[in-house]
Amino acid sequence: MTWFLVHFAEIVFYSLAAVALAGAVGVIAFRSPVHAALSLLGTFLAVAGVFVLMQAEFLAAVQVLVYAGGVMVLFLFVIMLVKARDIPDEPQYVRRLVPAAVGLGALLAALVGVGIWAASGGLPADGAALRMVAGAPLGNTEAVGWSLYRDYLLPFEVVSIVLLVAMIGAIVMGRKESGRGGAA
Amino acid sequence: MPTDFLLSAIVLTPGVVGLLLLATPREAVRLQRWVSLLASVATLVFAAVAWSRIDPANASFQFVEARTWLPSLGIGYRLGMDGISLVLVLLTALLQPIVFISSWRSIHDKVKGYVVAMLLLETGVLGAFLATDMFLFYVFWELMLVPMYFIIGVWGGERRIYAAVKFVLFTLAGSLLMLVAIIYLSFVFHSQTGTWSFAYEDMLRASVPMGQGFWHSPQMLLFAAFALAFAIKVPIFPLHTWLPDAHTEAPTGGSIILAGVLLKLGTYGLLRFNRPLFPEAWQRATPLFLTLAVIGIVYGALVAWAQKDMKKLVAYSSVTHMGFIVLGLFAGTLTSTQGALLQMVNHGLSTGALFLLVGVVYDRRHTRMIEDFGGLAAVMPLYTGAFLIATLSSIGLPGLNGFVGEFLILTGAFPRHPAVVAVAATGVVLGAVYMLSLVRRVFWNPLAIEANRSLPDLTWREVLAFAPLAFFMVWIGVHPGTFLSLSEAAVRRLIGG
Amino acid sequence: MRADLIALLPELMLATLAMAVLLAGLASGKARHGLLGAGAVLALAATGVTLWLAAGATDPGAHFFSGMFVLDHFAIFFKALFLLTAALVVLLSHDYLKRNDYRPGEYLALVMFATVGMMTMASGVNLAVIYVGLELMALSTYILAGYFRREVKSHEAAAKYFVLGAMSSGILLYGLSLIYGATGTLDLATLARVLASAKPGPSALVGVALLACGFLFKVAAVPFHVWTPDVYEGAPTPITAFMSVGPKAAAFAMFLRVFIGGLAPLAASWIWLVGVAAALTMIWGNVAALTQDNVKRMLAYSSIAHAGYALVGLVAGGPAGVNSVLFYMLVYTVTNIGAFGFVILLESRGYAGETVADYAGLARRHPAAAFGMLLFMLSLGGIPPTAGFMGKLYLFAAAVNAGYVWLVVVAVLMSAVSLYYYLRIVLQMYLREGDGAEPATLVAAPWTERVIWACGVAVLVIGLLPAPFLAAARAMAGAVGLL
Repeated sequence: MTWFLVHFAEIVFYSLAAVALAGAVGVIAFRSPVHAALSLLGTFLAVAGVFVLMQAEFLAAVQVLVYAGGVMVLFLFVIMLVKARDIPDEPQYVRRLVPAAVGLGALLAALVGVGIWAASGGLPADGAALRMVAGAPLGNTEAVGWSLYRDYLLPFEVVSIVLLVAMIGAIVMGRKESGRGGAA
Repeated sequence: MPTDFLLSAIVLTPGVVGLLLLATPREAVRLQRWVSLLASVATLVFAAVAWSRIDPANASFQFVEARTWLPSLGIGYRLGMDGISLVLVLLTALLQPIVFISSWRSIHDKVKGYVVAMLLLETGVLGAFLATDMFLFYVFWELMLVPMYFIIGVWGGERRIYAAVKFVLFTLAGSLLMLVAIIYLSFVFHSQTGTWSFAYEDMLRASVPMGQGFWHSPQMLLFAAFALAFAIKVPIFPLHTWLPDAHTEAPTGGSIILAGVLLKLGTYGLLRFNRPLFPEAWQRATPLFLTLAVIGIVYGALVAWAQKDMKKLVAYSSVTHMGFIVLGLFAGTLTSTQGALLQMVNHGLSTGALFLLVGVVYDRRHTRMIEDFGGLAAVMPLYTGAFLIATLSSIGLPGLNGFVGEFLILTGAFPRHPAVVAVAATGVVLGAVYMLSLVRRVFWNPLAIEANRSLPDLTWREVLAFAPLAFFMVWIGVHPGTFLSLSEAAVRRLIGG
Repeated sequence: MRADLIALLPELMLATLAMAVLLAGLASGKARHGLLGAGAVLALAATGVTLWLAAGATDPGAHFFSGMFVLDHFAIFFKALFLLTAALVVLLSHDYLKRNDYRPGEYLALVMFATVGMMTMASGVNLAVIYVGLELMALSTYILAGYFRREVKSHEAAAKYFVLGAMSSGILLYGLSLIYGATGTLDLATLARVLASAKPGPSALVGVALLACGFLFKVAAVPFHVWTPDVYEGAPTPITAFMSVGPKAAAFAMFLRVFIGGLAPLAASWIWLVGVAAALTMIWGNVAALTQDNVKRMLAYSSIAHAGYALVGLVAGGPAGVNSVLFYMLVYTVTNIGAFGFVILLESRGYAGETVADYAGLARRHPAAAFGMLLFMLSLGGIPPTAGFMGKLYLFAAAVNAGYVWLVVVAVLMSAVSLYYYLRIVLQMYLREGDGAEPATLVAAPWTERVIWACGVAVLVIGLLPAPFLAAARAMAGAVGLL
């Protein structure tokens, strides 16, 4: 038991890492796009758990909101709209997956919960380097803010152009062929 | 006439005129022919001026020009002339107008490209003979590659493309390793003196370590890299296989320049660079090169004997003659080296003349097969006489130039390498056999083929092209001292005798 | 902050102007090719002027944006080169866009955004900055590869480029994170200090290896080159021209900065890796090019081989090595743009000058253009008096000086091999008459021709009088920062 407590953080970390990896493998292994997307969700959540373990709750929250929430929903929308026919909807198949889903979900919840417990002082955390400004420690969110808008201002701004280019790309690639000979 | 820019004038005149001709319209064929001929004659005049002004007793470079080019590596535009380069520059400058005269009518397609390529080629050759900067030498050396590629590939015979590509790849494979060797040599100089330079005179002062064995001996490796490039160019057996293809497929003018001048760059390089830069390696490699030279002499002669195509026969005879030159160089005495240098000129004259004359009947009959001729002595007396002179010069009849060269090489080599000389002497005999049998079959066999009865004799233009060659054949044969004295001091300096 | 912005001004300016071109393109419809093209070229020129002014107002040794960004001579050289490349590509594309009636606005904006990314890569001294710059460049290029949507082949090329490019970015990122984990820093100078002071652990070494793999992928070196021929062949030729020079030069800027700068203390661990990759790249690139009948594929393999030559300079290291790579990038850029310009100029049966046989008899029909192509082929083969020869000379001299004679021997032997396939094109143009096959006709493309002329003159001028260009490269090379 003492061994368990001493190595608690590592055990949680490796479990989360295993879930993340398994999810990533699932993304390419599943035939159905919906399953692949759900598997990706598992990876996102496990990564959020890792963030929590590192006492980066803000990042964890963003990870859950943006990736597990926004991006995932978008994915599912697209899959449903585009390839609705290809999704296998045999009830038996889904039913067989229920126990697995429940088990996986419980494990995930337990891990995240333990992580939060650990982060909120249940266990001494190691390596959580909070930024000190003017002698006072900064909160998690502020630390991210400082990092992004002070130290990493330049890469942050470049990333904004990357997003702009991605948007242009989506429009260029997505729009109906225009110009001569195209199906206007 | 001031001599400050004399060498630049010699080197650059053909190339600059060639580039200017590039801008003329394609149809202005007369203009292109005349301007290119005048440019090559002007170059000959400049070379003659150098001949009259040079001090033969002075072994070092004269009319020196030096300008910085790539200062960071100590690369300069450095030109200089000594007796050795003078002789070869004269040969080149003499052959070039002859090439233009001989191809006046036979090249009628894409004349502009032909004369431009020829003029650029001449600049490359003259530059390589006169460069006293290793890097500049390499640039001129490579500059010859592309014009020759086009000359063979565009105006050549049936299998011209194969021959052109083979020529380029053979030459390039050797010369690129030479580039590495040049850079390494300069690096050795840098590590010994702390300054970068590619100047030839500086390289002479760099002592390349001899080391042990072959792979651990910098000097042997550098020697090998230089020697490979030059041996391919000469060509030394067994690297000669590109030569018959290139010669046979090239147009007459290309063959004259190829045999007359380009091959000489190989032997010139051996003498100018390998000998003084890597003396110990030269000693070590002597047995190998003597053996290869002798094999080349006998092998070339035997293969030439078996040829049915006149041009191929002359091409293989080049392998034999170049073998003699290599023999003279590696025998290493003053006499044999002087003989080798003279033989370079002789071979240029006699083989150039032979290619020229083979081209004459090819223009009339569009065949070069020996069996397609016979009895021409009755139809073309003038031509027969010219061919006979060239043949006798080639086989070394006393009184003509070939005799002097071969005699000097063999007597110079005999004291040190009697066995080698004994075998090489059979090459002289074989040479007489195959050349005279060629003459017999072409000129004295019965006049069996109808088409040959009406062959016109040499035109005045063809006589004009041949006459200077015959003139120099006789001059060298009768009074070789004129030319030997030019180069003696420079050769002495190079071989350290 | 003011100094920070001055140092960043060229990038800011170009990004702003790119957005302006984008909006102008949307506002003016697709008909205003001339106007938008001229605008893009002017924007690039203006950025060049800004670069010059910013360089004058900035201390080359200073760091900006929390030490992440520099404007040293190295960065200035590469930025100028990128701007030149972008301008040439815009000019090359003009006739193509117009003839095929594609929208110019987004296209030009993407070229400019890619240039912003490359400029950021050249200036970054922090792995995070270099990485986001790389992504900006890569993303823009993926889109450009698929931009001409009526070309069926170009879809496949774009998809392949995207998937493999994303994978290489992933490998790169993995390497970066391992190095960060091992050393706790992304700053190159700090990285060098940390690595020099302590013996690096296995994770740092694995990180370096992954980083090397990612970079080799980006410069298309063997064994990470398989994507290149397919993508170069499939992509529209103006974009192939761009991909083969711009992103490649940018990847080399990043390679030099990271490996010669930050990872110098680990040189003993990576130098053999890069050296072997260089040798393999030269050998395989040239040997594979021998058998290509498709000119674009052949040029793709040729560009692989040239990455190998440039890697020789990287292996040589030191100021001379870096200097030679910089100079080589300049030489390679003008030569390759010219060569692809010629391919663009040809159009045979509706698709740009595909096979070697299409070149038969071109010299007779179009002597000027063929002469330009002759120059480019000789320059790529490294024959004097062209720029390519001088570029190779300096690479080889640097490598011999650093003791890598074996690598130079491989390089020169492979140069001899390469001449065979470069001369195949020359052979078709000059030596064959083009009888039987329908010879390729040249389409009217005045701007493409002007680019070819400019590149041809540059190839000759650099080949004959390289001294000033070398001096420029040398002034720059001292500043990889940590030499």
